[in-house]
Amino acid sequence: MTALVEMRNIVKVYPNGVVANDGTHFSVMRADIHALVGENGAGKSTLMKILYGMELPSSGEILLDGKKVRFHSAHDAIAAGIGMVHQNFMLVPSFSVAENIVLGQEPLRRGLVDQKRAEEISNELANQYGLKVDPKACVANLSVGMRQRVEILKTLYRGAQVLILDEPTAVLTPQETQDLFRAARTLIEQGKTIIFISHKLNEVKEIASYITVMRAGKTLGTFESASTTHKELARMMVGRDVLLETNRSSSERSAKVLEVKNLVCTSDSGKPILRNLSFNIYSGEILGIAGVEGNGQTELAEVLSGLRPAASGNALLHGKKILNQTPRRVREMGVAHIPEDRLKNGLALNVSVEENFIVDRYFHSPYRRGLGVQYKQVRALGKRLIDAYGIHTSSGAQMVSSLSGGNMQKVILAREFSAEPRLLIAAQPTRGVDVGSTEFIHARLIEQRSKGAAILLISADLSEVIKLADRILVLYEGENVGIFSDPARLTEETLGLYMLGIQKQTPEEMEAVL
Amino acid sequence: MKWITGSPAVRETLRILLAVLAALLLGFIITCLVSKDPLNAYRAFLFGPLSRLNRIGDWLEESISLILLGLAVSIAFKAKQFSLGAEGQMAFGAMASGVVALFVPLPLFLRIPLALLAAALIGFLWGALPGYLKAYMNANEIVSTLMLNAIALRLYDYLLIFHIKPPGAGYNQSDSFPEEGILPSFMPPLPFWEETRRMLTNQMNLTVMLYIGVAAFLIAYYVMARTPFGYELRMVGENIKFAKYGGINTKRTIVLVFAVSGIFAGLAGAHLSLGVHQKLIANITVGLGFEGIVVAIMARNNPLFVPLAAFAYGYLRAGADIMERTSDVPREMILIVQAVIILLVTAEYVLPFIKQRIVKPEDSYLAEGDRHAA
Repeated sequence: MTALVEMRNIVKVYPNGVVANDGTHFSVMRADIHALVGENGAGKSTLMKILYGMELPSSGEILLDGKKVRFHSAHDAIAAGIGMVHQNFMLVPSFSVAENIVLGQEPLRRGLVDQKRAEEISNELANQYGLKVDPKACVANLSVGMRQRVEILKTLYRGAQVLILDEPTAVLTPQETQDLFRAARTLIEQGKTIIFISHKLNEVKEIASYITVMRAGKTLGTFESASTTHKELARMMVGRDVLLETNRSSSERSAKVLEVKNLVCTSDSGKPILRNLSFNIYSGEILGIAGVEGNGQTELAEVLSGLRPAASGNALLHGKKILNQTPRRVREMGVAHIPEDRLKNGLALNVSVEENFIVDRYFHSPYRRGLGVQYKQVRALGKRLIDAYGIHTSSGAQMVSSLSGGNMQKVILAREFSAEPRLLIAAQPTRGVDVGSTEFIHARLIEQRSKGAAILLISADLSEVIKLADRILVLYEGENVGIFSDPARLTEETLGLYMLGIQKQTPEEMEAVL
Repeated sequence: MKWITGSPAVRETLRILLAVLAALLLGFIITCLVSKDPLNAYRAFLFGPLSRLNRIGDWLEESISLILLGLAVSIAFKAKQFSLGAEGQMAFGAMASGVVALFVPLPLFLRIPLALLAAALIGFLWGALPGYLKAYMNANEIVSTLMLNAIALRLYDYLLIFHIKPPGAGYNQSDSFPEEGILPSFMPPLPFWEETRRMLTNQMNLTVMLYIGVAAFLIAYYVMARTPFGYELRMVGENIKFAKYGGINTKRTIVLVFAVSGIFAGLAGAHLSLGVHQKLIANITVGLGFEGIVVAIMARNNPLFVPLAAFAYGYLRAGADIMERTSDVPREMILIVQAVIILLVTAEYVLPFIKQRIVKPEDSYLAEGDRHAA
């Protein structure tokens, strides 16, 4: 059987000398789910951009169904039946689902877009592939999972035979991920081929039949999913043994760092978001916040870092009030914050790495002297942090936008950790980050804890919370519904009952572990 | 090509020059279409500004105004604050400095600095107003600055006509400023170049504002690139959410950005009254405030390139002026040239090989220019 897609000896050298692909081989069978895994920066995305016509390879050839092809643009690739669903969706938010699906190839009637026909087309596609959507819904009101469906339907409408899904699960909840996998299997049954880019090994092993591993621009081989283990894959990706378990030295409860009492917070429209929340975090402790997303986690992080006003209640950091203070004041009291949405809040993309490091310290010595900012010191800081955190960049003057996702996260970590915080708020610290970086980030969180910092860990990844936290608090509709002191003995199922609001601890039970 | 496109400073310079060149070419085609004697008309346009000493003087004089205005606009735009208030701030700057020049009985070496200070101060205050409205009341700055322009210009007229112009005079202007209220020539009266000086000052009206313009440029560059305020300004412009998250007082920064921008516009106004006209006249700004936007766009809000853009654009304006006077082509042709320049500069893919391809380690933010120019 010949491969449907075959990429031979692909070399891609960017004009700035970065070698993204270095003689990469990649082939995919028809009607198969083939995963492409590798660390950030391993060259997965570049390889797929080449297949999708967005980048021209420096050398090498692409065979589609045994015939040599050369794509000069995404249009060529689409015409040849290759579709790509990007990580950042390319939809028009104010348009309906149907309008988005047919965008660019609208069915016409008397020169105008035939809305009815567009909706019929959307329904047909949705039924055929088991991707239920409401064609009339406005995209702006859809959840991320739904938007992704629309994006997939859009590529199918354009006649895609091969679908490239670029880290499709990075933005999905576990339930949505399962829906996506079901849809993917339906697509395969109907003869479509899927290339699945990811670095979540669990998922890859669950969904893909073959796995190709990339590292440093090279393919290390293609493996049958059933006959490889997690550990092997992780080792190949990272190039060394990976500790999938985090070594945790038990820490003793010491001084109270943060005390939150009856915290209430409302949305702009007056809806209560946090209801009477009370908890403490002690020095050298990680308090994990579990909960289905949208139950007040984001707001909790914002309130505690001074980005959002609290309606009532109190929060004391070493006895000092931190609610309703300016973010700078809060930072100066020793609070660091790894924000949930790092591109939106955590970084200025078109600014150098160095200048991203100094946002919390440019105004005091040694970075400021007299009237000016001491850029010599800034450069030195940049060098130090880039080395210490293994950030892949040619220099600190490089713009952040040119870094990969994992490296961007490291820029934030480097800044926040180097501030030597007393309280660290870490919101989704490993979201969308590869295995190696996740390991690194976990190790650093634990290091901060051993140094005596109090850490508030907010994560949608339950296994992460269970693995790292010393205690776990479950948020449901902004309320503390349970707090547990021994995460090792908890299962995801137990937590799930609390997260869904089915179970709730009594105040007395909570009091014992507060 | 690599050595050319490699250095960002060279790249930006080339980009500005190429845009001007392409616009000139189009200007020539249009001249051919509308003129009976296109060659001479175009020669007047191209070489007119250099043909006589007084014309060179006019060009340089206007370029100084454009530098100050270009800096004013760049500062605001770099912080993504689309202030169009330079026109009004300039009118007030002219008024404040004019009042000092006319009525404050001080010797030259005190009166001129005081007049400049007054212009800078009023620019600062009048600029801070829309900044305050934007930061604390979320008033759209485009609307508020345009409205405030209208107020400033009317107030200028009112003060000029009812309080400053000599009673009974049949024209709407002040008396000429006394000697002590006029910017001195850019050449200090030193014995060894007395001859040259007399010759030059007779021919052209180039004042010490030249040095003030250079100083303003250096200060603006330093402030934007090397000071905490400049850092705050750029972070607010690049990603205001990040700035807030990082602890920057974004509201205060926005007010200051508008106000500091106003200082430069106010000084441009002082240049008009103390240097160019040497009295207060009606309609003294003639829309020059908006030309600052063209300069800022050409320089992509990067103060480093404002002088180059100002001299290039000032040259085009001077050329168009001379062409109108010496040929049958109206000066409105400059509008077309101007439009083409803006188009070429903002649409960076029109000049693809200048496009940034190589990110070099030594690229500092400033040499990079603003990729999201207004």
